[in-house]
Amino acid sequence: MNLKTAAKVTVVAGASLLFLAACGSNKSGSTGSTKQVATIAQKSELPTMDISKSTDVTSSTALNNTNEGLYRIGKDSAITPGIAKATKITNGGKTYTFTLRKNAKWSNGDKVTAHDFVYGWQRTVNPKTASQYAYLYSGIKNADAIVNGKKAVSTLGIKAEGNYKLVVTLDHPISYFKKLMGFVNFFPQNEKTVKKYGSKYGTTSTAMVYNGPYKMSGWTGTNLTWKLTKNKDYWDAKNVKMQTINFQVVKDNSTGLNLFNSNKLDDAILSGTQVKSYKTNKNFVLRKVASTFYVEYNRKASNSTVAKAFKNAKIREAMSLAINRKQFVNDVLADGSTVSKGYVSSDLAKSPINGKDFADDAYVKNSVTYDMTKAKKLYKEGLKEIGAKSLNIKLLSDDTDGAKKTTEYIQGQWQKLGNLKVTNQNVPFKTRLQRSQNGNFDTVISAWSADFTDPISFLSLFTSDNSYNNGRYNSSTFDNYIKAAEGKDANDTKARWTDMVNAEKTLMKDTGVAPIYQQTEAHLVRTNLKGIIYNTAGVQYNYKYMYVK
Amino acid sequence: MRKYLLKRIFYLFLTLFIVATVTFFLMKLMPGTPLQNEAKLTASEKASILAQYGLDKPVWLQYFIYIGGIFKGSLGLSFQFSDQAVSYLIGSRMGPSMQLGGQALLVGVVLGIILGAIGAIRKDTWADRLATILSILGIAVPSFVLAILLQYYLGLKVQLFPVAGWSGFTYTILPTLALAASPLAETARFIRTDMVDVLSSDYIELAKAKGLSKFGIVYHHALRNSLIPMVTLIGPLAAALMTGSMVVENIFSVPGIGEQFVKSILVNDYPTIMGVTIFYSALLCLLLLLTDIVYGIIDPRIRLSGNGD
Repeated sequence: MNLKTAAKVTVVAGASLLFLAACGSNKSGSTGSTKQVATIAQKSELPTMDISKSTDVTSSTALNNTNEGLYRIGKDSAITPGIAKATKITNGGKTYTFTLRKNAKWSNGDKVTAHDFVYGWQRTVNPKTASQYAYLYSGIKNADAIVNGKKAVSTLGIKAEGNYKLVVTLDHPISYFKKLMGFVNFFPQNEKTVKKYGSKYGTTSTAMVYNGPYKMSGWTGTNLTWKLTKNKDYWDAKNVKMQTINFQVVKDNSTGLNLFNSNKLDDAILSGTQVKSYKTNKNFVLRKVASTFYVEYNRKASNSTVAKAFKNAKIREAMSLAINRKQFVNDVLADGSTVSKGYVSSDLAKSPINGKDFADDAYVKNSVTYDMTKAKKLYKEGLKEIGAKSLNIKLLSDDTDGAKKTTEYIQGQWQKLGNLKVTNQNVPFKTRLQRSQNGNFDTVISAWSADFTDPISFLSLFTSDNSYNNGRYNSSTFDNYIKAAEGKDANDTKARWTDMVNAEKTLMKDTGVAPIYQQTEAHLVRTNLKGIIYNTAGVQYNYKYMYVK
Repeated sequence: MRKYLLKRIFYLFLTLFIVATVTFFLMKLMPGTPLQNEAKLTASEKASILAQYGLDKPVWLQYFIYIGGIFKGSLGLSFQFSDQAVSYLIGSRMGPSMQLGGQALLVGVVLGIILGAIGAIRKDTWADRLATILSILGIAVPSFVLAILLQYYLGLKVQLFPVAGWSGFTYTILPTLALAASPLAETARFIRTDMVDVLSSDYIELAKAKGLSKFGIVYHHALRNSLIPMVTLIGPLAAALMTGSMVVENIFSVPGIGEQFVKSILVNDYPTIMGVTIFYSALLCLLLLLTDIVYGIIDPRIRLSGNGD
């Protein structure tokens, strides 16, 4: 065999390998037995099991299923029973008295008492703990002052009356307070365990104590797998069916797919590029995330013409109308993301009046549609009103692939308006954040994700004095609606809902910001895996009622 | 020899010190903070949390505090793994990376030597060409492509080895193979070239004339001589392999250090960046020192002395 023949053989062999790869079928098998065991993929390592320090999805998933607070968040963010057996709200919504169940136990044998809540909460707001979610305590008596080091930790508005009665005092009524009680940072903490492990508390599965449906094992603090097993001492153990839930960190989504196809995973995460080919798979599940990407217009831009232009409603509306969101989401991003109906994301909260989703209830016609003719007309009129011939603006965004695609697309659309030149600035995430907060931009693509499943988690951002209102949107109408929702209507769920709907409508009619798309996460979930409770914000995963059919 | 060693160790520490200093100040030039929840914190909340970690102090002071910590034997606590000691993080993440690197080096070098030797002995035959093609492929195909192919065919289709994960020796086989391709190719190319030279030299002719067996000639005379320059190659190869490959580790879900290092930079996890950088540098310096010492032992023409002559 001479060199030529050898080369030919290699080429043929290589080509057939590639061919085989292309033809490879993606059969998905089933586990076939009803053993109550499942393996779930996680996107990243578990950074901590410390209740005061959890900020990410992985740790909040782990904590929410191994621990429990006063309530447990159920399907559609419903408040379901947790450690609290009964709740009494008095003093115009400013005092909550919780009666705790007596049969709740920690995995070290201790009983879960009111003191555990007092201790846990005080630990979280203590500036020494440096909790990055302490701001959620804002509104609880003295919380802000304690976080800023101005008052003693013991002055926090929480008190134990005996072992099973907990009294919480608020500065002002908080309409979503019960929802917060299902958030991991408000869970109780066992003082004995925290003191025993000191700085090692929550850094491994053994340096931790559990009071929830499952107990954790196998987490060394840095490894990529851990396990939840049924907690027999859990007060509601009779309703927990799973024996074991394994977690496996999978960072490469094609690995996740291969693991799923070889039955090593029962819930895998897909990447955007895989979505197209798996859309019709019977295991395909698209999970919406309460996260909206939107354009902010800087009314205080350093370039005075640009600042003036963005104070003009016609120009803002024109630029929003010029974006063909449907085309962008389907053809450019093509990762399962959906077009935003408004600024507040879809599937976040349901109306107490008519059961409608907030995004539908507050939908403003033509606010997120595409209409180039109208856009051009409005833009021309707007330019005339501010006395300018053309605009030269910068569009700031992240430097990820997705962000680059987004800016390129929007740049193209905006420039179709004529007499508008757009320069893209793609910078690292942290730089974008810094520049947004310093007001060092013309337009920026921002993203916001809700902390908990209430529209206020989105809306409070755009009051005129909010520090995240990067573009300095300023509307007294909007401000008043939010003030009413947070103040006089805080105890009246229906009136409060209407306030929030009106606020969103005001923001959209003003084109205060231009929402573009809502993020989703595509999964392949074994069809016999039932009872997973998923919410778009807050503690997203509740596996208490999960089972294998 | 002793003087030489002392001198080299002194330089090693000097190098580490300079690396640590430069890294520290470069790292502080990066925008942002190590806070995970940065997008949601107000300026005052951020400031108070950063103060808890001493990050509000001037950079030079932070530098002295950090260096002081190192002399006390502490690399600090990680930010991304809240409160996890960096030394523990490196310790537990380094194991898998080193194991994979070591196995890949062993497989790659041993197979590479065999392949290279075959190529040289059977020069210009089909065996030589096959060996050449294999080594070109080994260099041309990136390890992550190989990793994906191995995972798909040997893991998913044939189900010979686990697709991904880390719970036993079988889990190390596919990542080892993916990582071994490139050292295999480099070694094979190197040995072939060198041995072709050696095989045509006079003393080999003499050995042949003496009537030594072919195996004896190749093993005792040709291969041994070719192995000496290999030592220079193995040092850097070992360093490259043992510090972990982010891509291969991600594909096979290996809890290694490679990916951690990259991530620590992306999230401004200062103590981890410093810890891993210092550790990597120390490892590289040690391997280079070891290479030089081994060189002196196996090649009598090279003398190590502290006088630089």
